[in-house]
Amino acid sequence: MTIDWWTLALQAINALVLVWLLSRFLFRPVVDILAKRQAAAQGIVAQAQAARAAALEEKAKAQAEAAELAANRSAAMKAASADVAAQKAALIAAAREEADKLRADAESDIARARAAGQHEVADKATDLAVDIAARLLDRLPDEARVAGFVDGLAQGVAALPDEIRAKLGADGAPLPITAARKMTDGELSQCRDALNKALAREIEIEASVDPALIAGLEIHAPHAEVRNSFRADLDQLQADLKRHDEFHA
Amino acid sequence: MNGSPLVLEPVFRLGPVPITEPVLVTWAIMALLVALSVAVTRKLSLQPSRGQAALELFVDTLNGQIRDTMQADPGPFRALIGTIFAYVLVANCSALVPGIEPPTAHLETDAALALIVLGATFYFGIRTRGTWGYLKTFAEPTWVMIPLNIVEQFTRTFSLIVRLFGNIMSGVFIVGIILSLAGLLVPIPLMALDLLTGAVQAYIFAVLSMVFIGAAVADQQPGQPAGGGQPRGKS
Repeated sequence: MTIDWWTLALQAINALVLVWLLSRFLFRPVVDILAKRQAAAQGIVAQAQAARAAALEEKAKAQAEAAELAANRSAAMKAASADVAAQKAALIAAAREEADKLRADAESDIARARAAGQHEVADKATDLAVDIAARLLDRLPDEARVAGFVDGLAQGVAALPDEIRAKLGADGAPLPITAARKMTDGELSQCRDALNKALAREIEIEASVDPALIAGLEIHAPHAEVRNSFRADLDQLQADLKRHDEFHA
Repeated sequence: MNGSPLVLEPVFRLGPVPITEPVLVTWAIMALLVALSVAVTRKLSLQPSRGQAALELFVDTLNGQIRDTMQADPGPFRALIGTIFAYVLVANCSALVPGIEPPTAHLETDAALALIVLGATFYFGIRTRGTWGYLKTFAEPTWVMIPLNIVEQFTRTFSLIVRLFGNIMSGVFIVGIILSLAGLLVPIPLMALDLLTGAVQAYIFAVLSMVFIGAAVADQQPGQPAGGGQPRGKS
């Protein structure tokens, strides 16, 4: 066995040359294209990551805006609710005030109507009483309408203050006496005597007639007034009824 | 094949230099590989065709093998290891061409490749560790191992030569003998087996080259053999 050293050397040179040739024409181009593809892929990944980061940033921004909108909406809702509550309270207060006013007006109207009704009822009652009294008096003797009231009239005059009594029928002026009917001479005399006694002096009487008195006598002087008649009693009764109603209204 | 395969007769001479058949076949293989490389890499694009994808798969697999075996960046070693694998593979398969004898069936070609691997081992070892640092690796684990480590450098190179030479040369011999004894189609199964053997031997040669060079450039760790624990055995 021999070794051809020329062949060995040539094969070694051939192998080294082939290493260089394949490195130049095979491995380097392939490695370059692999590196380019890897760079492109990394670029795409970088772009994707950048896009993802941007998307995440936009998402975070959108979430912040949504939260801000929600907060604003909540605040607006609260403000609107407060406004609505205030307006509602104002409307309720106004309605209540209006209702109170209407109720007060109604109560006032009712009171007025009631008062008017009571007044009317009192008037009717008075009329009815007068009518009843008149009918009852019709059953009494006609003298009773005057003679029965003379003493009362004299007592009323006697109860007047002295200075008033001094002015009644003074200086010869006749004392005006009103009766429910025309008094007879006897009744005039009886009445004069009673008044003379009450005034402790002599006076003149000027008699007049007022059927509205129903029964009784009344003195209507410039300085004094003495009433002793059914009309006066009815007026007094009616006034008392009015005071009673007003007190209980 | 009439003469001894162990004796090379020059086909022609270039001055004092005899040009033998393995050299001629190697030139043809070189031309073929370069032409294929130029043809394939001429239209590389970012969107690969099927051929480009296959080529990229080959290079990527080669990178992965170098990275796994040598535990280093494949860049400085890719061209050497890839060229050795491609050349040995094509050379082993050249037996399919009638009248062509694989260059790897001759001792000179295998010795040239093994010597290149040995030189690369020295070169990368010194470049990585420095001259003194690389020489100190021969004294690992103790200085007593210096003679054995020196001898190992040459014995494993010799084993690299003999392994490839013996496998390919024996295949050529067997096919030649059977072809001379039997019919034309009988050696075909053996030729197919030779293809497999050639591919396996190309892979083994490339892997052992990576192991040897990787042992020279790798950091020696206590209790761990050089070459990242890769096999040193002989096939």
